[in-house]
Amino acid sequence: MLRIKNLRCSYGSIMAVQGVSLSVRQGELISIIGANGSGKSTLLLAISGLLTTWDGEIIFQDQSLKGMSPPQIVKQGISMVPEGRQIFSPLSVIDNLKMGAYTIYRKGLKDQVQNDLDMIMDMFPILKERATQLAGTLSGGEQQMLAIGRALMARPRLLVLDEPSMGLAPKIVEMIFETIQTLRQDGVTILLVEQNARAALKIADRAYVLETGKMVLQGSAEELLVDDDVKRAYLGRDYKNFYDGRE
Amino acid sequence: MQPLNLTIEDKNQLKLERLQSTLNRAYKNVPFHRNRFIESNLMPENLLSLDQIERLPLMDRSHLGIHYPYGLFAVPLRDIVRIHTAPGTGTNPSISGYTKADLIIWQKLVARSLEAAGVTSMDILQINLPPALANWGRDYKDGAENVGASVIPNSLLSLEKTLMVLRDYKTTTLVTTLVFAEQLMECMFKSERNPNEFNLKRVILVGEPVSLDQIKNLQEHLHIDVWLNYGLSEIPGPAIGFECLHHCGMHINDDHILPEIIDPVTKKRVELGKAGELVLTTLSARAFPLIRFRTGDMARFLKEPCKCGSSLISMEWLPERADNMMIISGIKISREQVKLYLKDALGVSEPLCQMEKIRHGGNEILAIALVIDDSLFSDEIKNLEKLMINTSEKLAELIGVPVKITLTEQHL
Repeated sequence: MLRIKNLRCSYGSIMAVQGVSLSVRQGELISIIGANGSGKSTLLLAISGLLTTWDGEIIFQDQSLKGMSPPQIVKQGISMVPEGRQIFSPLSVIDNLKMGAYTIYRKGLKDQVQNDLDMIMDMFPILKERATQLAGTLSGGEQQMLAIGRALMARPRLLVLDEPSMGLAPKIVEMIFETIQTLRQDGVTILLVEQNARAALKIADRAYVLETGKMVLQGSAEELLVDDDVKRAYLGRDYKNFYDGRE
Repeated sequence: MQPLNLTIEDKNQLKLERLQSTLNRAYKNVPFHRNRFIESNLMPENLLSLDQIERLPLMDRSHLGIHYPYGLFAVPLRDIVRIHTAPGTGTNPSISGYTKADLIIWQKLVARSLEAAGVTSMDILQINLPPALANWGRDYKDGAENVGASVIPNSLLSLEKTLMVLRDYKTTTLVTTLVFAEQLMECMFKSERNPNEFNLKRVILVGEPVSLDQIKNLQEHLHIDVWLNYGLSEIPGPAIGFECLHHCGMHINDDHILPEIIDPVTKKRVELGKAGELVLTTLSARAFPLIRFRTGDMARFLKEPCKCGSSLISMEWLPERADNMMIISGIKISREQVKLYLKDALGVSEPLCQMEKIRHGGNEILAIALVIDDSLFSDEIKNLEKLMINTSEKLAELIGVPVKITLTEQHL
């Protein structure tokens, strides 16, 4: 579905992504993990069209995304849930969701929009309860659900989630990841960029590990969960304690 | 395993991703590989396609000996959960290692090869491999358990005992070498046991190329099917290549190991379908990545896709060799290593000798005809005999096959 080959992105003389290749196949939940500055967000900016100066290939559904604007990429079927949610705070929950279906609405498919709204409300009952409430007054977890719901309103072929756990309490993170897993089981193809590697690997089919702009590891979630490099760097296993035999 | 169902395009994408990750890790963690990148003026991030790997230098078994024991490991030793040893080609053996993740991958690859031979959870799989191939025995055990088969792990049993276990335990699948399978067959007939007394359905042969006549001989006498597997002690793993139900060449697990065929002299890639030396690059190995490793094995890629529909590339494993090694009972023997040993053990400057594989009492042994010279000569025949017996025994321990040294005055 999504095929990236030899992607290079730079900010001036700084190479943020250096020859990265990755792929997402239909129905998969793929996770990209990496520390701050590893190039994860830059990669997503390139996929979403927000960063235009890149080299390499980004092919989605056999079509190159080179030169496409963000709205054109959304029309191709890629919906992104950005880091920090970025919902429309002054608008109500329901209006936020409708904004996600803007392209469908413009085609005059009002019934479809209503059906999708009902589906999202069923998926996230809390949003139904808060339907008329201003989005800015929702809790962090509720805002994340709203952001995911808004992305789903565009009926994406590929849902891209950027750090959905950021700034959320552990219990809420658990709930969000359960939701992501449900979406995957419903057949939604998902690319998940996440610092919380343990949570991401628990639900992913495959994962990629980025380090200073380079892909250093990839494999099934099962393989990466037992990888000592991954454990030390991303799963909270303290390198020094382990080395000193104090674990 | 999933990649068998991938389209060629998806598989090539996966291979490129794995290759780039492997090269990035090798560059970062292994000084030997890093220096070779620098010498080639090719940084890992500049490798844009699978074909460009040809720009990197080849490596061979001598590099494993030079960097003995752990110089080519790409992870800290504490991440290694299994260490394997192969005899090597010089004074040092070659060591390879697995991380936990490596073991998971190899288990799946071996399971894939077993499933291709029709092994299921209904099978009882018995492993009988010589001590020098014991590493593979462990991998086959893991792979067969992954399939869900009942496994009788590798153990050193006499022919009689092996036959007893085969019959009484109702073994359906035997993993072994050609020599042992033939010995077993001879023993079965000698002791007047009818193959119908056994539940054996298939034999999976490892260690060396096997001719059609040899396969036919086993099939007809034992009423079984024969499958060939290809492996290397250095990669490390026994199921790099395997036959499927159609027996048209061996599928290489090329989603995890990138194969090339080169002309052993010019070191350039040969045309598809032409014979040459098999060169392998690991795509998933964490602990012990090998980049363009010369196997010494001769092979050719098959042009026609297999009827099974697999997207894995197929090869024919040829009996010739591209190096100076010989295969005895499935075990690779380096002639240089044998000469080095003789030189040290006998105190001769340059041992003149001829080596050949011979059959002795059903076993394959390394027969060495050694030219006796002044430095070796002794008036006491008994002393000379003792020296040869001691040397044979120690050499056999080193290389993993029985050795018989005879002295000759004639120049070879």
